[in-house]
Amino acid sequence: MFLIFIRTFKESFKNFWRNGSLSVAAVSILALTLFIMSVIFVLVVTGNDVLKSIQQKSNITVYFKSDISEEDILKVKQDLGNYKEIKSADYVSKDEALGNFKKSNADNQIILKALEEIGGNPLLPSLVVKANDSSKYDSIANYISTAPFKDNVSRINYDRNKEVIGKLNDLVSEYKKIGLGIAILFSIIAILITFNTIRITIYTQKQEIEVMRLVGASNLYIRLPFIFEGITYALVASVISMVLLFLTFKFAPNYVATKIIPSGALLSYYYHGFFAILGLQILAGAVLGIFSGLIAIRKYLKI
Amino acid sequence: MIRFDSVTKKYKDDYTALDNINLEIKDGEFVSVVGQSGAGKSTLLKLIYAEEKPTEGTVFFAETPLDGISRRKLPFHRRNIGTVFQDFKLLPKKTAFENVAYALEVSGAPGGEIAENVPQILDIVGLADKMEKYPRELSGGEQQRIVIARALIHRPLVILADEPTGNLDPVSSMEIMDLLLKINKLGTIVVIASHDREIINKASKRVIVLEKGKIICDDAKGEYKIA
Repeated sequence: MFLIFIRTFKESFKNFWRNGSLSVAAVSILALTLFIMSVIFVLVVTGNDVLKSIQQKSNITVYFKSDISEEDILKVKQDLGNYKEIKSADYVSKDEALGNFKKSNADNQIILKALEEIGGNPLLPSLVVKANDSSKYDSIANYISTAPFKDNVSRINYDRNKEVIGKLNDLVSEYKKIGLGIAILFSIIAILITFNTIRITIYTQKQEIEVMRLVGASNLYIRLPFIFEGITYALVASVISMVLLFLTFKFAPNYVATKIIPSGALLSYYYHGFFAILGLQILAGAVLGIFSGLIAIRKYLKI
Repeated sequence: MIRFDSVTKKYKDDYTALDNINLEIKDGEFVSVVGQSGAGKSTLLKLIYAEEKPTEGTVFFAETPLDGISRRKLPFHRRNIGTVFQDFKLLPKKTAFENVAYALEVSGAPGGEIAENVPQILDIVGLADKMEKYPRELSGGEQQRIVIARALIHRPLVILADEPTGNLDPVSSMEIMDLLLKINKLGTIVVIASHDREIINKASKRVIVLEKGKIICDDAKGEYKIA
């Protein structure tokens, strides 16, 4: 058994070199397939991450009337904490609000001057409310505006954010659908091309297969070199695809508008998931290579 | 050794290649199967090496019926049979040595045995000095000798040769025929299918004449008379 393995492995290695241009064709098609699949995969994953982080940043702010005491606001905060759709409610006092405002407008002398002119603190104390799920802001806003403490509330800025949050939710679900659709489509195309290329490679060896059968080689002995060849294709193709992927992630963001995905994100994702991506590629490539091979040989083995 | 028991072989679209064949080939025989193209010669050989299965009847090899042979056992059956073809069926990317060695490798023979036996066999067919040549560097007659060496390497019980001289000039044809006769003398059954009258008459061995799938003549010391 061991002897069979050694011999068929050698055989497959020789085949790989002797087939020259055909091996190159099969490997490049496989590499492209893996590359396209990886790019789509990474885009879907990082895109999702980015959208999630934007979702996490969204919130609604409840402004209280300026004469409401801190004690009352903290009571409301506690009350909101019990509401199950709400992840957190953070109290921002008048003084904190002023500090934040001054900080964010530090460069703008006109606004700072205007503030001085008014004198005192014109800002309102508030609770910044974050939801577990951004699609729930609607019901949270409703809840607050009908709550017993509603008379203490000056205004809720939900209406202003409503449109943005709604759009974001649409975008997330659209992105998932489109991403998945494109990924499936490209994968099918790539798999078909790979499958055919490998079939052609084997077709050129049909004479060999015929001779193998005539001299009494078992079906396993005939198949093993093709299985090893499939694995070799997968290994070489994965390495090529990883290099392509690296180059793409390193340089492509320079040419493509990257307002949604920060330019470093792709590359860091690449480093982070290097072995996971490589492993998946080898696995996908080997499965593709071996199955195309086995299906193609079936014909000549007369099973 | 080989027995055909009322064997009929039909291919698709009802073409009858062999029609109710009864035939026995004994140990040590040299048999020529002759007839025109399409008479069923190749089909007869294919049934022996189990490339095709009979539509009716049974082929026995060493008293074992071949119709029940499993896919797992088929390679072992093939190792009892050496096959020689008109178009050689050599692997173009392997040397003469490798082509012969290959038949031993697939059966799991140890490397030492291969290194010892292959040159011996190549010496028997007279190619000891051309072991490292590729098929394209050899003449047709020499290529057919490699094929015969490959067929012999398993020390088979039977050599089946389908038009072994079909692609060769008369001189090479005679040489190949002499080689097959020599192998037969050493105890191996040889069955050749041919329509080369000259070489068959030279052998003056048993001749079976097929016509439209039927045996019309079976002589122990036959001659191939019909052109």
